[in-house]
Amino acid sequence: MIAPATTFVHLKLVMPSDPRYLPAVRGAIAPLAAAMGWDEAECRAIALALDEAIANVIRHAYHNRTDGRIELDCCQNVEGLEITMLDQGEAPDKSKICARAIDCEQVGGLGTHIIKDVMDTVSYQATPAGNRFVATKRLKRTT
Amino acid sequence: MKISVREAGETRIVEVEGDVDLGTSPDLRRTLFQTLTEAPRLALNLAAIRYIDSSGIATLIEVLKDSQRRNKRFVLFGLSPAVRQVFHLTHVMRIFEVFQTEEEAVASA
Repeated sequence: MIAPATTFVHLKLVMPSDPRYLPAVRGAIAPLAAAMGWDEAECRAIALALDEAIANVIRHAYHNRTDGRIELDCCQNVEGLEITMLDQGEAPDKSKICARAIDCEQVGGLGTHIIKDVMDTVSYQATPAGNRFVATKRLKRTT
Repeated sequence: MKISVREAGETRIVEVEGDVDLGTSPDLRRTLFQTLTEAPRLALNLAAIRYIDSSGIATLIEVLKDSQRRNKRFVLFGLSPAVRQVFHLTHVMRIFEVFQTEEEAVASA
C-alpha cells in the first residue's frame, strides 16, 4: 500500500540585513513552531535562536550594514524543523564562533550559546553561494 | 520599544515596554547609562518587556558592571516568564539582584 502523501511546511523569507525586520521574522517562526507541536516556551526559544543567528549575520558578516541580503528557509520534515540561512557577507572565522563560557560576566558569545543550547544541531559552511548556516531541532513526540 | 524614567526617592525607575533586540537595545543602553550617572540607585522594570535577546542581556551586564565600578546599585524587577527564560538560557540570573515587585526593589536599594 502506498502511504498517503505528506505535505510539509516550507517557509522561505528573504530580508535585508536590517534589525528592523527581526520582529517580523520572530512573528513568523513562533506560530509556525506552535503549529508543528512545540509548546509556548519552546516556540519562544526557537524564535530567539533564529533571531540570534540573524543578528550574528548582521553584526559579523555584514558589519551592521543594512543593505545585505539574508535568505531564510524554515522547513518542516519528519524529524522536526530545519532552518537554513544564507548570506553573502564576510565569511565567519570558525575559530571565533564559540559559545560564551558559562559562569562569567563577559558579554560576547551569548547569542551563539543560545543557538547551541536551543537547537539540536548547528553548522556553518562557506559555499560558492555564500555563508550557509543550518540548524535543526527535533520535535519530541509524546504519543 | 518605549522607555520612560521616573523617580522613587533616591532610586530612578526605568520602565521598558516592547521588544529589546539588536535594533532597540542601543536605545535602552543609552538611557540606562545616562540614568546611572544621575542617581545612586537604578531599578529596571522588565514586566512589560515581551521579548529580549542576547544584545539586551549584554546591555544589562554592561550597566551592572558600570554600576559596580561607580559604587552604585542596579537592580531588576518584574521579570515575565519570557524574560526569565532568556535569563536562564544565558545563565545570568545569578549575577543580578532580581526582585518581584517595585516595592521590594526600591526597599532593597
